[in-house]
Amino acid sequence: MATKSENRIDPITTEVVRSLLNAAADEMNVTLIRSAYTPVIYEMKDCAVAILDADHRVFGQSSGLPIFLGNLEEVVDVTENFYGKDCWKPGDIWILNDPYLAGTHLHDMSVYGPVFVQDQLVGFATCRAHWLDVGAKDAGSPTDSTDVFQEGLRLGPTKVIEGSVERPDMVDVLTRNGRFSYPAHGDLYAQIACVRNGQARLEEIVRRFGKETVEAARDEIFNQTERMERAAVKALPDGIFQAEGCIDNDGVNKNPVWVRVKVVIDGDRMRIDLTDTDDMAGGPVNCGAPQAVSAARVAYKLLISPELPVDGGAFRPLTVDVRPGSLLAAEEPAPCEWYFTPLGLLIDLVVTALADVVPDRAAGAHYGDSMVIGIEGVDPRSGEPFLLYEPTVGGWGGWRGHDGQDALINNVNGALKDVPIEVEEARYAVYVHRYGIRQDSGGPGQWRGGTGVERVYELETDKAKLTLWFERAETPAWGLFGGQSGMAPEVIVNEGTTHERRMLKVSGYPIQRGDIVTTRTGGGGGYGNPRDRNPEAVRTDIADGYVSKAHAQESYGYHAH
Amino acid sequence: MNKYRVSADIGGTFTDVVAINQETGRIAVGKASTTPRDLTQGILAGLSRVVENPETIDFLVHGTTQGLNAFLERRGEKVLLLASEGAGDVYYIARGDRRDLYQLHYRKPEPLVRRRDIVEIRERLNAQGGIRIALDEAGVRIAARRVREEGFGAVAIAFLFSYVNPVHELRAAEILQDELGEHFPVTLSHQIANEWREYERTSSSVIDAYIAPSVQRYLNRLTAELHRQNVVAPLHIMQSNGGIISAAAATNSSLQTLLSGPVGGTMGGVSLARDNGLQNLICIDMGGTSFDVSLVMNQSPDIETETYLEGFPILLPVVKIHTVGAGGGSVAYEEAGGLRVGPRSAGAEPGPACYARGGLEPTVTDANLLLGRIDPDWFAGGTLSLDRNLASQAMEGLGHQLGLDTMQLAEGIGRIVNTKMAQAIRAITVEKGIEPRDYALLAYGGAGPMHACFLAEELGIARVIVPKNPGAFSAWGMLQTDMRQDFAQAFYTPLDRANPMEMADLLETMAREGSAAVAAQGATTQAISHRFSTDMRYRGQEYTLTIAIESLDEITRTDFKEVLVNRFHRAHLARFGHNNPGAPTELVALRVAAIGEVGRIPPAYESEAEGQGEIEYRDMTFNQKTLSGRVIRRAYLRSDTRISGPALVLEDTATTVIPPGWELRLDQLGAMDITRL
Repeated sequence: MATKSENRIDPITTEVVRSLLNAAADEMNVTLIRSAYTPVIYEMKDCAVAILDADHRVFGQSSGLPIFLGNLEEVVDVTENFYGKDCWKPGDIWILNDPYLAGTHLHDMSVYGPVFVQDQLVGFATCRAHWLDVGAKDAGSPTDSTDVFQEGLRLGPTKVIEGSVERPDMVDVLTRNGRFSYPAHGDLYAQIACVRNGQARLEEIVRRFGKETVEAARDEIFNQTERMERAAVKALPDGIFQAEGCIDNDGVNKNPVWVRVKVVIDGDRMRIDLTDTDDMAGGPVNCGAPQAVSAARVAYKLLISPELPVDGGAFRPLTVDVRPGSLLAAEEPAPCEWYFTPLGLLIDLVVTALADVVPDRAAGAHYGDSMVIGIEGVDPRSGEPFLLYEPTVGGWGGWRGHDGQDALINNVNGALKDVPIEVEEARYAVYVHRYGIRQDSGGPGQWRGGTGVERVYELETDKAKLTLWFERAETPAWGLFGGQSGMAPEVIVNEGTTHERRMLKVSGYPIQRGDIVTTRTGGGGGYGNPRDRNPEAVRTDIADGYVSKAHAQESYGYHAH
Repeated sequence: MNKYRVSADIGGTFTDVVAINQETGRIAVGKASTTPRDLTQGILAGLSRVVENPETIDFLVHGTTQGLNAFLERRGEKVLLLASEGAGDVYYIARGDRRDLYQLHYRKPEPLVRRRDIVEIRERLNAQGGIRIALDEAGVRIAARRVREEGFGAVAIAFLFSYVNPVHELRAAEILQDELGEHFPVTLSHQIANEWREYERTSSSVIDAYIAPSVQRYLNRLTAELHRQNVVAPLHIMQSNGGIISAAAATNSSLQTLLSGPVGGTMGGVSLARDNGLQNLICIDMGGTSFDVSLVMNQSPDIETETYLEGFPILLPVVKIHTVGAGGGSVAYEEAGGLRVGPRSAGAEPGPACYARGGLEPTVTDANLLLGRIDPDWFAGGTLSLDRNLASQAMEGLGHQLGLDTMQLAEGIGRIVNTKMAQAIRAITVEKGIEPRDYALLAYGGAGPMHACFLAEELGIARVIVPKNPGAFSAWGMLQTDMRQDFAQAFYTPLDRANPMEMADLLETMAREGSAAVAAQGATTQAISHRFSTDMRYRGQEYTLTIAIESLDEITRTDFKEVLVNRFHRAHLARFGHNNPGAPTELVALRVAAIGEVGRIPPAYESEAEGQGEIEYRDMTFNQKTLSGRVIRRAYLRSDTRISGPALVLEDTATTVIPPGWELRLDQLGAMDITRL
């Protein structure tokens, strides 16, 4: 179905250029990850890169974090809106972290610069990475901020390199405003190195093939991707599909916050309408519009185009509608630190809305959020302060033909690994009593939801502060097609004692030596009616301890012989 | 009587055998079909082709895929895993990360041990190695009973903090051997990897337990079989770390043999670099379905301390080999109006269209054939003759779809696959902070020399080297290595608080252990040396850099910490492009490699055939121009030969393409040195 009129270029050159652009983006990502200073970037891959053309369309991109998919072009758009198209000068590199402009939270620094060949603007190299600390009111991520000004240093488009020369005053501003200046320096220089690498590679490609050839190849590459995506959307039945769900609360107020998704499929187009989502919340769960769009694209990609490349032709069949002033298009001064909490839910909801349309590609909901525990205290072994801060893994939904995965990191994260017990006990004054599968937590189904985990900490210093961000107790991971919900998360301090306390979100809660904190994450949703589960599979689950005999009887109608 | 040093390298299809005459340095190469059911038969058949009298074999090295096959085909032992109380699920949680970001149906690697076969034993140490909960010995005996009753063939023990204090693992092993006999295979995690991170240590130990019995049986069988054939030389085994160990020692460290297959080629590269005074090489080995890339840096292999196999982490020093899904069998196809090449492969069956085995889709090999870059009558050593018409027919259909004629398409397929392979090499070098232009490209394997000059052009590399016998280079490389055993000890402390005396003591203890191990395998004391190093990082980082410590004496010098930290800052700058002098650093582990030199035969070269052979010219296509290019058999090359491209050099196991603009000469050892004019 090649449209002849567009074929101004031979398919060989197009494919060679396509390979080079993708490789250039991968190379930028490698440069960033290998030279970043903080584990958040190089270990958890909380970063993304993109090479853009002169009109801000994606030549090639590479992402470490799923929800950083295809929205780096926004920072270039925004900069032109502020300072005009003439603002780009050779050798300049810019930085920006405003959540309403870029979409995420202040921790995420976008660094970017133009690429010139023979005085002509040919494109941009961009990257984004999570900084350890940007000077918020609390170390790490405040869970109870009520406006953006409590969350740290906020930057509109700002030049950090001018005509290839570093601006020492700006570097000073950037590194003076956080609690850890060494990592800030290291990560800033890693991002600059990454942008320079991308600038050099794009310049090389344009010099080698010529601007016109690269542009012709670009048009053809975008058209190829668009054709594949349109064909995939067109294969789906037309209709309007909806789903809604809530997060427990915004961290400050008690009431649940609702996300509402409407998906409209019409021929080869899809619209994801998020406008019925609740208004901005008082606590830090708000998200800037660009990032909400990005999350909707992740959901679309999971179902429509998981194997396809992401370039300027990607997502052309998709429009995403958000309502300014709502949770998913937050405006100043809404706090945004935990912007990703509604996004994990949003992705589950889009999958659910479309489950009838693509039953083979769908899956039950997953455990939902990053489930973060923080413990801040002084280690009596060294006399030095420590900050334990870790997300927790949980269960994912089952899908047709397979049980959900146990103990996996949540959908807005990817390469993030848990903290080994041996590393944790060596670095922090805690003792881990147990880290294991949470029995019976997977949602019953013909294909069972994956299980959550239980992690039990004992404090080994006189006193410390506990911070928690556990979510999705109101809407635990639901099932599909008769599959049932997984268990909800719970956190209990001193479980089974007279001074037992249950909590899910807390900031700076005092704990003492010997206190035991038990965290349990939720399981994933089941798929299909549990009564249709193969009895052999239930028997295996009992033998392997995923399911107790009582639970097997109650949920699956299984009687052990 | 002339004596020989002999190596045998088992590949998927062929077992390569190389014999070096100890007096003359001459090399003989033999090939036998790999015999998957019983690998020993292929080795014996290969040996008989290069050495007449088995008693003349003085030294024998072998790279085996026995352990890897057992793992890949899931034919390993039924393993019971003992873990610390409260941490039995660590192996199943597998740290919880997802490596594929856009996959709603993501699946972790399928564990090798069932969850019900993981037994939590009541015991616990703290981070300092102190006993927090004493070992429940009765619990271990109950586990031993289960082993007997349920027919487990091996046990792996991975207790928390055993790398600080192995007391509980050792005692548990003692009890198991008391119950099950002293020869019952038990793998202890601190002996497999004396480093922190319990999941990675457990995963490594489980793989070892899973493959060890199979590797042991195989080595015992091979040793017995060699004895029966009157081979008196001791058998040595190639290891993943680029060194060799005696077969007897290998039976106790099966994991070390796991990834030894392609390592011989890299070690051959190290040897070739030393002989030619080159510092750095990019080694490429291209076969039918995959393309392996490895690096020689400063005449040493690029060794990493951790690797992944099918998603499982393994804490093991390995010569790093990167595999890219591109090869002669990579298929070209149309997608949404665009031309794509690979990673899908036609494999060996049906294979490329020109194999005439029913393959209809055009592949890289078909393209090379049409472009005149392969001799159709001498492919794979003459075992297969290729059909040009079938290649051409396969191209026509796709060409028509894309509006390209057959030769345009054939050259396009070559360009695309070369671009992809070159970019894969770039990504690997960028990760290491290396500029590929500063390296020479060493090409071996069947298809490597065919593509090497094109990859070099894409990467700005000016020099390509094709060694003698490129098809058996990996086997040759095994004869160029030393004995090597690696030891590691966790040592977690900020550098400013580290006690140099303690470091020196620990390193010396490991060095003594290393000397004993290497001496037990026959190395003489004067041939044993040690390499000391420490894993360092900036405080707060997770990754470490392995920094050399020159000697134990160095540690006692007053400026030791300053010297060490400066070395670390420099290494960080070289590898990552920046550093942070002044930032606090910490030590994570101490390492010793014990090296036992086995002595090398001085290489010799003389041309193998008289005369210059038939002068032959054939059509070859480069940049859409068909040129008449010289075709020459490698045996006729002389030390004074100069051949400018276009040309083809043919030999039994490989074809080398010299494009226009490149010139070939031989170096003093007979390797082809091809440079850009």
